[in-house]
Amino acid sequence: MERRKYVWLRQFIAFAIIIGLWEAAGRAKLLNPLYAPSPSRIVGALIDLFAGGTIWPHLEATFGAALGGLALGIVVGTVLGIAAALAPFLAELLEPVMIMLNAVPRVVLAPLFVIWLGIGIASKVALSFVLVAVLIFFTVFTGILQVDRRLIERITTLGGGRTALLRHVYLPSIVAWIMGNLKVAVGFAFTGAVVGEFVAASRGLGYLLSFAQSTYNSALMLALVLLIMVFVLVIFALAGRLERHLLRWR
Amino acid sequence: MLRVADLSLSYGQVPVLEGASLDIDDGQFVSLVGPSGSGKSSLLRAVMGLQKPLAGSVTTELAKRDIGILFQDDALLPWRTARENVALGLGFHGSNRRRAADHADSWLTQLGLSGLGDRYPRQLSGGQRKRVALAQVLALKPRLLLMDEPFASLDAIVRARVTQDLVDLAERERIGVLLVTHDLEEAISLSDVVYLLSQGPRARMSQRYDIPLSRPRKLIATRSDPRFAPLLERLWDDLSREVDRGAAEAA
Repeated sequence: MERRKYVWLRQFIAFAIIIGLWEAAGRAKLLNPLYAPSPSRIVGALIDLFAGGTIWPHLEATFGAALGGLALGIVVGTVLGIAAALAPFLAELLEPVMIMLNAVPRVVLAPLFVIWLGIGIASKVALSFVLVAVLIFFTVFTGILQVDRRLIERITTLGGGRTALLRHVYLPSIVAWIMGNLKVAVGFAFTGAVVGEFVAASRGLGYLLSFAQSTYNSALMLALVLLIMVFVLVIFALAGRLERHLLRWR
Repeated sequence: MLRVADLSLSYGQVPVLEGASLDIDDGQFVSLVGPSGSGKSSLLRAVMGLQKPLAGSVTTELAKRDIGILFQDDALLPWRTARENVALGLGFHGSNRRRAADHADSWLTQLGLSGLGDRYPRQLSGGQRKRVALAQVLALKPRLLLMDEPFASLDAIVRARVTQDLVDLAERERIGVLLVTHDLEEAISLSDVVYLLSQGPRARMSQRYDIPLSRPRKLIATRSDPRFAPLLERLWDDLSREVDRGAAEAA
């Protein structure tokens, strides 16, 4: 326990030294603020975003798209994964499509979604959804195929049918597998939302990033990166709590 | 109660069992011993309908819920508590959740697990998990219990205790048992009849031994019965012959 505490302290000191050196180099004009603004400038840009209240509609747009895509991706990916695992003829149809979708870097679909769905939130939700749904589909599909045969036999020999198998074996297994991939899925969902906004949007953190890039505002860009990082870490922490609760039997 | 007639089974393309027959009467304890690979577990799985026979038949007047099976692994659902695991089968057969939970608690108590109903399997010892698995099967009040070396992984003392509890229950409730085991002493001390399978592949039922020891049985005391040692010696010799014959055929 003591040792762990010291690890945390060492990490904090190392981080503080790097930030301090960075700030000192910035103030000594060793770094060009156009490319590498000092930490104080980045924090200043962050404060400006919140002080003026301009950030809230952008946060709302990004979170709405990411969480909408995440929820939809989990539901659709799970349903398709279960259907494909339990009905071989569906697997024959779905698996090649999913493999093809998995083979392309799915963010390249962003411009297509903008053409199909417009520059509003729908195209961002669609991109987050595709990123998450493919991940969850393979998680659930391969998970069900690898489910412990002994548990299936146990349920069968106790008199349970297909519904009992789904309720007592497959669904709890699926929750465990999804929880194991939830953090990756959250990352994918935010990637989809931000990239979608970066391509074409009028709101969102991706839109702000695009704006900062076009105006050569590195401080704003790094502030936005920091902001996204912090929010995703908060969601990771919440996902971790949910995982510990749902998988308390482990 | 159960008749297995001329049963032939294969494991993939390999013929395991050929023309095996056995009978179990109401409340009878029957053990099946034999060399490794002689198809003992496969026979049990075929009786339970988990493996299709190549030929022969399994006939019984029992309904499916009257037959319970215990595997080597306890195969408890890790995400369900001990109580929920025991109540599982009861729920499948129409008990409401409350009644199934009460019934599960009473079985846990009977098997010495009082107060452990809220624990998950990982929070239980190996012996406790076996008892939960046993309670899960016994809660359905089976008339025939199939067991594939369920207590093999337990240490000697825990194994003796769980086995004695099982024998007491089987005698009291007149539950028929078909036990697969490698342990000849266990087979004799528990059983009314012991069947010996020959060396596989294409194993056959080579001997049947009627065990004349009286009931109720106390497992440790039974081993000091003067009839025990000669029976064990005979079974040991016959099994050794089967193993030697298999080794000679393989060479």
